Amino acid sequence: MGIPILKLGHVLIASIQDALTDNDLIQLRDDLSSQVGWSRATGVIIDVSALDVMDSFATRTLRGIADITKLRGAKTVIVGIQPDVAFAMIQLGLDLDGVTTGLDLDEGLAAIGRGDRGDAGHG
Amino acid sequence: MADLDFSAHRQAVHLTDEDIARHKRFVGLEAADLPRIAAVRPIVMERVDELTTMFFDFLRGLDVATPLFRRGDLLDEAKRMKREHLIAMVGGVYDRAYVELQLELGLLYSKVGLDTRVFPGAFYHLMNTVGAIVMANAGDDPQKAFQNFMAVKKIGFLDIGLMIDIMAAEREQTISIQQEAIRELSTPVLQIRDGLLILPIIGTLDSFRAKQLTDSLLRAIRANRAKMVVMDITGVAAVDSRVANHLIQTVAASRLMGATVIVTGLSGDVAQALVSLGVDLGTLNTVGDLQGGLELAERRLGYRIARQADSSLETA
Repeated sequence: MGIPILKLGHVLIASIQDALTDNDLIQLRDDLSSQVGWSRATGVIIDVSALDVMDSFATRTLRGIADITKLRGAKTVIVGIQPDVAFAMIQLGLDLDGVTTGLDLDEGLAAIGRGDRGDAGHG
Repeated sequence: MADLDFSAHRQAVHLTDEDIARHKRFVGLEAADLPRIAAVRPIVMERVDELTTMFFDFLRGLDVATPLFRRGDLLDEAKRMKREHLIAMVGGVYDRAYVELQLELGLLYSKVGLDTRVFPGAFYHLMNTVGAIVMANAGDDPQKAFQNFMAVKKIGFLDIGLMIDIMAAEREQTISIQQEAIRELSTPVLQIRDGLLILPIIGTLDSFRAKQLTDSLLRAIRANRAKMVVMDITGVAAVDSRVANHLIQTVAASRLMGATVIVTGLSGDVAQALVSLGVDLGTLNTVGDLQGGLELAERRLGYRIARQADSSLETA
C-alpha cells in the first residue's frame, strides 16, 4: 500500500497511517523525491503519529528523505513521534540528528515557515 | 522508620538451615565440641547473671550504645534475652530455635539503633571473661579446660557470624525501602508559559528514575504542546558519565517530540567533573542558571519580558 502524499500550498504532507514495511518506506522515499521536484515544494512534512514502533531502517530512511529533499530545495519535518516511540528510539540509540522534528502537523507547518512564501503564488 | 516496619522485618530477616550450617562450618563446630561445651556449662550457669551484667556494663561504657540505655523497658528486655542467650550458648543445641533467639535479640538491638560495630568488641570481652572463669576452674587439667573453652569460643564466633548476617539483612532492607521512597519522589514538570516547561530535577538520577523522568517529560511535552523545556539540575548531587548519558538521552527524546531542551544549573564542580571525564555535552544547550535558561527560552519563543516603569516594587 502506498502512502498518500497531499499537497498544501508549497508543502507536501505524507501521513503514515499504518505500520510500514521496508518496501513502503522505500516507496515513500522515491515518491517524495520525485514529487518534491515537479511540485516545487519547499517543505515536506511526514506525520508518524500513527506509528507505535520506529526501527533503525525507518529512522535511516526518514533521515535519508530529509537529506534528499534538502538537496532538492525542500525542508523536511518529521512530526508526531509519540512519547513511547521517542523513548524507545533513544534507548536503541536511534536519532534523527539534523532533521527538524515537530509535535504535530501544526508545528510542522510552522517550522517550515509557510507564511514566508505565502505570496509566492500557487505553484 | 525502623519502628514502623518492624513486623515486616521480622518475617523478611530470615536465616535458612543452610545459612546456619554454613556458619557452623566457618567456625569448625563439630560433634566433639559438644561434650566440651557441656563441661563448661555448669561453670557458666553458675555465673550467668554476673556475665550478663558485665556484658551490659561494657556496652554502657560506649558512646554508641547510649540509645539502648535510654530505653529502660527495652534494656530490661535485652538483659533478659541476653541471659537466656548465654544459657543457650552453652546449651549444646544450635539449631533454628537458637538462631531465632539470636534473631530476636538482634532485632531488639536494631530497634534501638544500636550499632553493629559494637558487638565484636562486646563479644570479645564476654568471651574473655568466660575464658578467665573456665581457666580459673581448670583444676589440674588446664589443657582440657583450654580445649573446652575453645569449643565455647566457636559458639561465640558462630553468634557473631549470625548477628552480622541479621544486621546486614536488616540494613539491606532499610536501604531498599529508602530507595523505594526515592523512586516515589515525583519529578514535576511544570508549564510556566505557553510552550515552555520547567523540569527541576532533585536527588540522584539512576536509570530507573531517568526513565520515569523522561517518560513524564515526554507526556508533558505532548499534553502542553511545549516547544522549549528548561531542565534544571541544580539539585542533582552528583553528575557522572552515566547521569550525563541519561540527560543526553532525555534531551534527544524531547527533540524527537519537537521540543528543545535547555539544561541549567551545572555547578562549577559538576562542569569540571564532566570535562575531566571527557563526557561530550556538545549536543546539549547549557545555560548557567535557571534564570538564564528561562530568559533564553523566552527569547526563543518570542516572549519579551519587561518591567513596567510604575511597578509597585519600584515605588515601594
